[in-house]
Amino acid sequence: MKLNRIGIILIACALAVIALVVALLVARQQDSQAAQVRVKGVALARSLAGMPVAQLESRDTAGLLDALLAWHDDGNFAYAAITDAGGRTLAEVTGRGTVTPRVPLPPDAAAGFGERALPASASNGALREFYGPLADRSRGGAFVRVGFHQPRYAVLARDVSFLALLALAMFLVVPVIYLVIKREMAPLAGLHRQLRQLAAPGQPVPAGDDMRDMIAGMQASLTQAGERIASLEQGTLSATADNRLLQYGSKKLNAALQSLPDGLVMLDPAGGVTFVSGKVEPLLGIPADALLGQPVELWCRDPALRTLLGRYAGANRDGGQVHGGQVHSVEFSPAAVEGRHVCATAQPLSGGHGAMSFGTLVVLRDVTREHLARQAGNDFVAHVSHELKSPLNVIAMYAEMLADSDEESLRVESLNVIQDEIERMNALVGNLLNVSKLDAGSMSPERNRVRLDDMLRDAYDQALPRAEGKGLRVALDLPRELDAVTIDKDLFRIALNNLLTNAVKYNRPGGSVTLAARNDGHEIVISVRDTGIGIAPADRERIFEKFYRVSESGAPVARGGHGLGLYLAAQIVELHHGRIAVDSEPGVGSTFSIHLKSAPAPAGAAVL
Amino acid sequence: MNQRPPAHILLVDDEPHVLRVLRLALEREGYSVTTAHDGHSALAAMAERLPDVLISDIQMDGMSGRELCPLARRTYPDHPFLILVMTSMTALDERAWARALPQTEFLEKPLSPRQLVARLGRHFAAPPAGAATPHQPESPHVQ
Repeated sequence: MKLNRIGIILIACALAVIALVVALLVARQQDSQAAQVRVKGVALARSLAGMPVAQLESRDTAGLLDALLAWHDDGNFAYAAITDAGGRTLAEVTGRGTVTPRVPLPPDAAAGFGERALPASASNGALREFYGPLADRSRGGAFVRVGFHQPRYAVLARDVSFLALLALAMFLVVPVIYLVIKREMAPLAGLHRQLRQLAAPGQPVPAGDDMRDMIAGMQASLTQAGERIASLEQGTLSATADNRLLQYGSKKLNAALQSLPDGLVMLDPAGGVTFVSGKVEPLLGIPADALLGQPVELWCRDPALRTLLGRYAGANRDGGQVHGGQVHSVEFSPAAVEGRHVCATAQPLSGGHGAMSFGTLVVLRDVTREHLARQAGNDFVAHVSHELKSPLNVIAMYAEMLADSDEESLRVESLNVIQDEIERMNALVGNLLNVSKLDAGSMSPERNRVRLDDMLRDAYDQALPRAEGKGLRVALDLPRELDAVTIDKDLFRIALNNLLTNAVKYNRPGGSVTLAARNDGHEIVISVRDTGIGIAPADRERIFEKFYRVSESGAPVARGGHGLGLYLAAQIVELHHGRIAVDSEPGVGSTFSIHLKSAPAPAGAAVL
Repeated sequence: MNQRPPAHILLVDDEPHVLRVLRLALEREGYSVTTAHDGHSALAAMAERLPDVLISDIQMDGMSGRELCPLARRTYPDHPFLILVMTSMTALDERAWARALPQTEFLEKPLSPRQLVARLGRHFAAPPAGAATPHQPESPHVQ
């Protein structure tokens, strides 16, 4: 820990400071002692110099010097002596263990008072000597010398406790400073750690030992952080680009989903709707907003769809086990949309080979057309069987009557009706076969150049007996020259026959049927005109539909129509790239006309 | 057989041949027969004279038998005359509505006039217990 070193440094500093303070204190004490010794020495030397020599020299006066010694013996006092000019000691007093050094006085001693330091000798330590001439004798006759020990460096006992206290006090400051520093540095250390993490996430933060390491670390961290920020910015830039690319892809995918012809609904595993494509609303009649985020129970009013979705929601919720790609379909008629049939196919939406389940994908397909086609097929079968049963019924009845009746007229009538009904059935079966071929697209017309007037004459000849049997007049109206056409003769005959049959069938007694043809520019127009009951405008648009029969309440006789003749005629004409038209006035008659492109005869072409 | 007024039968079918054959067969047995080519004319005939038996086809232009029969029952609740519906095997699902009507039965197509005559004979010989209406007494004359 970096703070440990700081602590050690602090302690060392404290010790040094304590030592310095103690040294200064001791030096100061020494100085003050030296000054004291000097004052004492000068005062003593002057006072001794003022004394009469006789008193000092005499033995009696030795007591005075002794008294002086006793008074001054505080450990510093070394000696006091009276010497003559020759250096001979006249009187002296010495402290313990001290000998007056036999050192000649300096020459200036006679002139006045002075002082000097005497180096340590064998018998004495370093001394400070104060000297001066005695006032009593002539100058230079006698001198006074007072010596003091140079004060030694020593710690006095009474100072020890004070110094210890001082040291203790200073030493106590150390932990305080240490704690303060530590406290002040804690946020800095935290900052360091954070910086480190910012700079190099994932790497453990090395414990900084001290401030310098820490600051160096911080600097390194800041540099690293800078680099990292730069690289992150770079990353952000490329991420933005990636993101745009991803967004583009996502939008494209979304557009593709939206433009699918089928409606898509995605459910999350809990059964809530997470995606709805635009096609769903018209299919289900429920706005997308009402679906999104809602559970199935809330919006689904179709029992079939609800059951289907319930299976998936339940399975996903219970086991989390995907159905193993199981697909279920249901066809229903949405409650909110009229007359529409929708096929809903649900399958688990899973990714990673079934490891991940995103919920359920529901595809909604509009099957109205298929449904109608199927229904039309069913209707067709029902209709055909009815159409076949009706003549059979009649035949059976007349056959029974024929067997039971003895009356000649009834027998003839029966035979006639039976024959008619057989013819009707035959026509129906023939037309049915042609219709089925037409519907299957397997009927390919064999087109040849045909002389139309021959064909029309044939058709006229065929229709004539039937028309005359009903008391109708038949006319054939052909121009002298009629352009050739390229048609399938057999097919075209069916169309013509059907038109003529209708003209006879829906005519009135005493009426007429006219078969005519004319050149009209590049077209040839073949028309069949009758003076029959006519067709109401509402029916006119539908008579070419399969199985459409004009409802005829109050028809005096059965027409026996089966709703295929005109349909077949129209289909055949269409197959020849022509068009069929009808013009009719109820109660007056109808005219059906076939428009065909004429085929100008190429040179040398064979004409059938 | 000729002492009492003959039982009246209303035939409804859009196929004139059927009407013709059945009329001949029934009239030979002494029934009085009215024919109609669809539901509307049948109702008109009923308004003129109530039948003892209504024999109707189902598939007809104008008003079909499916509309006619319930309407006849509703229009004349006090006259529970027998209704015979001529139907073919192909229209099995057509039968549910007829079962819901009282006194209504089916005749299979192709229809045999002999069978129809026999059926009517049974009907008038032993009228159902619930059918005792003021209209009934004249019917059992056919024997």
